[in-house]
Amino acid sequence: MADVRPEEVSAILRRQLAGFEKETDTYDVGTVLQVGDGVARVYGLSRALMSELLEFPRGIFGMVLNLEEDNVGCVLFGESSEIKEGDTVKRTGRVASMPVGEAMLGRVVNALGQPIDNRGPVLTEQLMPIDRKALGVVQRQPVKEPLQTGLKAVDGMIPIGRGQRELIIGDRQTGKTAIALDTIINQKFTHTEEAKALGVQPVYCIYVAIGQKSSTVAQVVDKLQAEGAMPYTTIIAAPASDPGPMQYISPYSGATLGEYFRDSGRHALVVYDDLTRQAQAYRQLSLLLRRPPGREAYPGDVFYLHSRLLERASKLSDELGGGSLTALPVIETQANDVSAYIPTNVISITDGQIYLEPGMFNAGIRPAINIGISVSRVGGSAQIKALRKVAGRLRIELAQYRDLEAFSKFGSDLDKSTVAQLRRGAALVELLKQGQYVPMPVEQQVVMIFAGTNGVLDDVPLDHIQRFEKEFLELMQLQHADLLRTIARVKDLTDDTTSRLKEILGSFKDMFMASVRAAVTAA
Amino acid sequence: MTMKNPRVARRYARALMTVAEERDAVDSTSESMAMISRVLGSSRELRLLLASPIVPESRKASIVRELFQGRAGDLAMAFVELLVRKHREVHLAEVIIQFQALHDELRNIVTIEVTSAVALKPGQEKTLKAGLERRTGKSVRLRLVGDPGIMGGLVIKIGDTVLDASVTHQLARLREQFAKSS
Repeated sequence: MADVRPEEVSAILRRQLAGFEKETDTYDVGTVLQVGDGVARVYGLSRALMSELLEFPRGIFGMVLNLEEDNVGCVLFGESSEIKEGDTVKRTGRVASMPVGEAMLGRVVNALGQPIDNRGPVLTEQLMPIDRKALGVVQRQPVKEPLQTGLKAVDGMIPIGRGQRELIIGDRQTGKTAIALDTIINQKFTHTEEAKALGVQPVYCIYVAIGQKSSTVAQVVDKLQAEGAMPYTTIIAAPASDPGPMQYISPYSGATLGEYFRDSGRHALVVYDDLTRQAQAYRQLSLLLRRPPGREAYPGDVFYLHSRLLERASKLSDELGGGSLTALPVIETQANDVSAYIPTNVISITDGQIYLEPGMFNAGIRPAINIGISVSRVGGSAQIKALRKVAGRLRIELAQYRDLEAFSKFGSDLDKSTVAQLRRGAALVELLKQGQYVPMPVEQQVVMIFAGTNGVLDDVPLDHIQRFEKEFLELMQLQHADLLRTIARVKDLTDDTTSRLKEILGSFKDMFMASVRAAVTAA
Repeated sequence: MTMKNPRVARRYARALMTVAEERDAVDSTSESMAMISRVLGSSRELRLLLASPIVPESRKASIVRELFQGRAGDLAMAFVELLVRKHREVHLAEVIIQFQALHDELRNIVTIEVTSAVALKPGQEKTLKAGLERRTGKSVRLRLVGDPGIMGGLVIKIGDTVLDASVTHQLARLREQFAKSS
């Protein structure tokens, strides 16, 4: 083997360095006056810009949040114990940015877009500022395509459209994250060839975990991986152990990545889990920066904190490619108090809310959605016609059921129609129950809700309804797949489809009731 | 030097400057203040006295008067007494720094810190000063700092802006470029 001559080595090195220019660098500097708890005051830097990135010694970065007469207040994206008074701080001349691109899909990154999944660098070519201004009126159009969550209760009664902002709100342990994750998992269908044939465009997902336990985030990653949802999903993690500033900016990073997909004419879904923690992180920073505290010690601009974030969700006009960014913010309430400061703020910003109740959760009604006060203000126009037809009466019947249920607790004799209505309501509640991680395609939702609102389930014993659903859907998939496909394709229920569906339901029910009777006698 | 309360210091300094300008005594006041600053810098006892809350105001005033009477100008003298009366004597050193900054601004002087690995020869210093004066359009007061840590070249600091032509910095950039291109 021929040896490599030393000259060759130096020739290669020289070539590598060909572009190196020996010119003088000019930069602005300041001195650290005060540091601690994730914030620093820097003297000098008189030309620093708002939200500009600053470079501290030992590779730590900071972001300018306060511009004062002779110093700037900034937050640190690293350990503040590494920084000492008198350290030199350099301006970088760029605002805090996030790398964006396809390479982000399938990765777990921190709030600055740096990978934390041990799978090497993220090869992106583009940087976009983290805090971007939301689009104006002209660039938008009304929400019109559905974003299927795969949950009967949500898609049927609180439909979400692409470009909408729908709040998921509830106490701890009521299944808020579960709804968000189910929605992400359900987008798997939109990336298939089948969806392409039906004209359903793919939805890219971003899950922003703010202030959560690292173990919880790891579980989410594992689950999405197991369900095959990672190839189209990015997880931005700012766990509780991250400095406050990272938790504060992480939703904006998520929105920036979502906007990258939106601006290239595609569809994106971003989940902010949860914004209560982000508001708390921001409160911490604001107090440390000595901004005056307001209600619940939050700073005065905490409304703007969330409104500027959620306003970035949008459906673009056709001239701009028609892309969309849907936002599912999550808010955790304390003891069902939706009238606390942050919940009321976010409720008023979003286009509706899904309200989860611990009482229903504990009663086994899952997802524990309280239909009475959950709404979707714009998604209705995005719902497919078939679902709108069958689910239209669902909401009313459930509302009547709840009223009557309270009334019937008096135990007096009830007339026949009231009993029937109660029975129908109980069946519908049973029908809307759905397990976690089992999203249902929209055409199956249509046939099941059709069965429910047309009274087919009225005389099926309540504890057999789940089995009814399972077996009926199996039958549909095995023997009447063409009917399901027609519903998915036409997106409407024609008279022909309706009558065929009734026929199939009728014959299936006869069989099913026979098996129920057999089971009862056997018992 | 870090500022404890730059706002107070700046406000007093500006007031002093205004009066000095009115009385056409800017330069003499500046000299007096520089002298006071030197005394402050060299005497720990004086600094402690001024900072002490136990010493009554009248005692402080009489000590200051005895020290500086006849040596500092009338205006400077009156100013220091005012500071003592207003319980702002702790900020004296900062006020002087701010006042000198205002004075430099008025006289179009800029202080530039030049760091070099080896001491500059008088000829080099002259060329550098002339060059910097051309560049800034102001008369330059050089503050030379020796730091073998930069290995070679110069680091010039004008206000907040740094012109970095040191060998250390070039090496750091070289390393970055290598890391990026591979």
